[in-house]
Amino acid sequence: MAELYVKPGNKERGWNDPPQFSYGLQTQAVGSKRTPLTKRVAAAQDGSPRATASETTAGHPPTGPPPPSNKAPGLPPVGSCSASSVEPTSLPVIESETLLEDVLRPLEQALEDCRGHVRKQVCDDISRRLALLQEQWAGGKLSMPVKKRMALLVRELSSHQWDTADDIHRSLMVDHVTEVSQWMVGVKRLIAEKKSLSSEEEATKVLTEVTTEENQTVPGFLGAP
Amino acid sequence: MATYLEFIQQNEDQDGVRFSWNVWPSSRLEATRMVVPLACLLTPLKERLDLPPVQYEPVLCSRPTCKAILNPLCQVDFRAKLWACNFCFQRNQFPPAYTGITEVNQPAELMPQFSTIEYMIQRGAQSPLIFLYVVDTCLEEDDLQALKESLQMSLSLLPPDALVGLITFGRMVQVHELSCEGISKSYVFRGTKDLTAKQIQDMLGLSKPAMPMQQARSAQPQEHPFVSSRFLQPVHKIDMNLTDLLGELQRDPWPVTQGKRPLRSTGVALSIAVGLLEGTFPNTGARIMLFTGGPPTQGPGMVVGDELKTPIRSWHDIEKDNARFMKKATKHYEMLANRTAANGHCIDIYACALDQTGLLEMKCCTNVTGGHMVMGDSFNTSLFKQTFQRIFSKDFNGNFRMAFGATLEVKTSRELKIAGTIGPCVSLNVKGPCVSENELGVGGTSQWKICGLDPTTTLGIYFEVVNQHNAPIPQGGRGAIQFVTQYQHSSTQRRIRVTTIARNWADAQSQLKHIEAAFDQEAAAVLMARLGVFRAESEEGPDVLRWLDRQLIRLCQKFGQYNKEDSTSFRLSDSFSLYPQFMFHLRRSPFLQVFNNSPDESSYYRHHFARQDLTQSLIMIQPILYAYSFHGPPEPVLLDSGSILADRILLMDTFFQIVIYLGETIAQWRKAGYQDMPEYENFKHLLQAPLDDAQEILQARFPMPRYINTEHGGSQARFLLSKVNPSQTHNNLYAWGQETGAPILTDDVSLQVFMDHLKKLAVSSAS
Repeated sequence: MAELYVKPGNKERGWNDPPQFSYGLQTQAVGSKRTPLTKRVAAAQDGSPRATASETTAGHPPTGPPPPSNKAPGLPPVGSCSASSVEPTSLPVIESETLLEDVLRPLEQALEDCRGHVRKQVCDDISRRLALLQEQWAGGKLSMPVKKRMALLVRELSSHQWDTADDIHRSLMVDHVTEVSQWMVGVKRLIAEKKSLSSEEEATKVLTEVTTEENQTVPGFLGAP
Repeated sequence: MATYLEFIQQNEDQDGVRFSWNVWPSSRLEATRMVVPLACLLTPLKERLDLPPVQYEPVLCSRPTCKAILNPLCQVDFRAKLWACNFCFQRNQFPPAYTGITEVNQPAELMPQFSTIEYMIQRGAQSPLIFLYVVDTCLEEDDLQALKESLQMSLSLLPPDALVGLITFGRMVQVHELSCEGISKSYVFRGTKDLTAKQIQDMLGLSKPAMPMQQARSAQPQEHPFVSSRFLQPVHKIDMNLTDLLGELQRDPWPVTQGKRPLRSTGVALSIAVGLLEGTFPNTGARIMLFTGGPPTQGPGMVVGDELKTPIRSWHDIEKDNARFMKKATKHYEMLANRTAANGHCIDIYACALDQTGLLEMKCCTNVTGGHMVMGDSFNTSLFKQTFQRIFSKDFNGNFRMAFGATLEVKTSRELKIAGTIGPCVSLNVKGPCVSENELGVGGTSQWKICGLDPTTTLGIYFEVVNQHNAPIPQGGRGAIQFVTQYQHSSTQRRIRVTTIARNWADAQSQLKHIEAAFDQEAAAVLMARLGVFRAESEEGPDVLRWLDRQLIRLCQKFGQYNKEDSTSFRLSDSFSLYPQFMFHLRRSPFLQVFNNSPDESSYYRHHFARQDLTQSLIMIQPILYAYSFHGPPEPVLLDSGSILADRILLMDTFFQIVIYLGETIAQWRKAGYQDMPEYENFKHLLQAPLDDAQEILQARFPMPRYINTEHGGSQARFLLSKVNPSQTHNNLYAWGQETGAPILTDDVSLQVFMDHLKKLAVSSAS
């Protein structure tokens, strides 16, 4: 779901800055533990360096080319790190362009669903951020990965997968904070409001079934300060 | 259990404990002759996938001075429903809920596999976690922007019901009121005047107990009143406003004239943050997170004046007693740190600047409270951004890997006393029968407070054997220790983790071989190193080295096999053989050597050394070196100049740095572009292998290390060259003949010379 990439650190601002891992890799790292590189070799008791096993080249370093693949003695070690690419994955161009409409409309629809249930000011705030999203998207300020993942987020939101949608929002905030920080918080809030609304709706449904009474009051409204 | 190594590993996995000695000398006199004290490294909250907490409370020994917790070492009379405490031998009745127990129906805490068990406590009000951001605005535009984005990003990573607050500072200190309404208000404080906690609370309007409650809900009497709500709000309520507020943060508007430093009121800002939490949420989990881009330059806690022509103190200034502000500043931050610890809160410091920022003076804030210390060049680096993200990382169960407000209590068998602890904690000054008069680290107590901790936080705990010489081996043949850690889990539940361990006593005169064989040299090296680093904070460097040397010589005299005055006969058994090397590398490490490090850097390195677990600590003492070549799979190699060969790639991990070094031939091949030719694809793989392994380390390490890619002759090869044992130098190059490897330009002694001297001293009857 999330992007898996490693991009170089900011060498201009940081001395020997380490590479940056995407949110997907960071969260995935918890599970995939290889044997850690923690072995060390003991020096002989007199402290002298022992002859090492791989010493075929004692004295003079080899000149000439490296052994070609087919003649290499033994397989060269292949690291088993999960990140395959070192550069950010530029998404293939063949992917069909994600349309602003397809992302924005479901979000606006979700906002409409919340109106009346959520404080007006919050709705206006969300609305303002969706407008900002629209403006930046239309102005060509959003990158392909952001657009694509927004489409995914909207799809999860539409199918009521709140937690997955929330996770995509988090991955966008971590990986593309510069692009999305201004408006993403509105989407985040929308996911949270929709989620609580749907659980309330379920509760209300149970309640109305029991009381068989038209429930006109708006849950959540009274509790708001 | 086949070997002691397996036994030691199993104990670490199950209980998070590593002891220097795994068979204990049974008398005080013999124990002191062992040189390395009886001590352990304890990781109180070690991640255990197979340890679901039990949903009831622990059963305590009824003796008021004991109160040890029922554990697998207790003897149980199933018929009489009695249990005998293994610490004080008190016989206790089981509580009513345990009436059903029999030999075949035992509660978890009696089963041997639950030597470590975690209890979930239902009582007590649960309060949300609190994160108070204290943000320096005297930053360059680029840095401030990056920091603002990281802070905005963090709002997505925080638990939704966590409370957040924001204080910004430059010349003035602003405490921001967080409201859901459109207008943002803030309280402004002068950065030059120190205020008492009371004054701060008065000025922020926190002292009035009866605030008009706007919430219709009636607050429970035990709940915190909502007085704090203006400054600390749940993330899910104010995330949008706070995002805007952060987005609109400007650089400190006060002009900074040429030749001046910006006026930065770090001391007052931190004081206000501490006072705010002290007045609103004492004794609940809270993090004060200080983000700063330079040294405090005014008010209490100032570290350097604002004149750029006066540089910030160096080690040289400190030695010459020429660091004007150091003592006063340190005192200010110590006062804050102690108050914070008393409130059960912790302070993190994220210092990103090219010059020093005053970590030396501020270090107590993190070291006493269990907060994080992060040092970087700029907030716009991956080093800072990812380290910061990892603060909010989660474990397998989706819980944040952070815990708060822990107290650690240690209980011992009668033959043992507790000498002290070294780690990110503060003494709770609880005296008792098991507290030793002799102090090692922070002693004089059997309880410590650890305000912030994570699953890797590790303490060194030191003991003293008090059994008299010639007294018989204590009853039962085993001594026991119980560690009780009460803490606030990140899910806000109160939990208690209990670890009870036992080891055999042995008579050191007749059974020395047993004691020797059960020596854990890795744990011993780290525990001795912690003692050394602890001393280095208050003593002169050379004195500490001399002390370490003396201990090493005494250890070799005691456990080496040799003929008097014949150094060639000297041997150490396998369980001791690595120990001298660890000491050799420790002597050269930045934890004891301040040369080439600023006072801030030394503080930073020592901060991490005093809290990491055994594996990471050993990496810091003696870095790991792996070699990649066409001659076989990657293999660990000696940390020695002889390992630097032309046809190898080396990967070195020093904890703070990951270095990849291409040997001369490899570098030439790469320059010639063989990796791009299809017939040399294996060369491409060879180049890739250490990169992949480095990535694996980088992905897991906290804090993010620096990452150095260099090659033979590269200027950055110095990172490798300064760490390897200089077995070949410009002085002895020819004496060694046609030796392979890389000569190091240094006058430092090599491990060989070190060992020669050590042996001579060990076998000499004079020393």
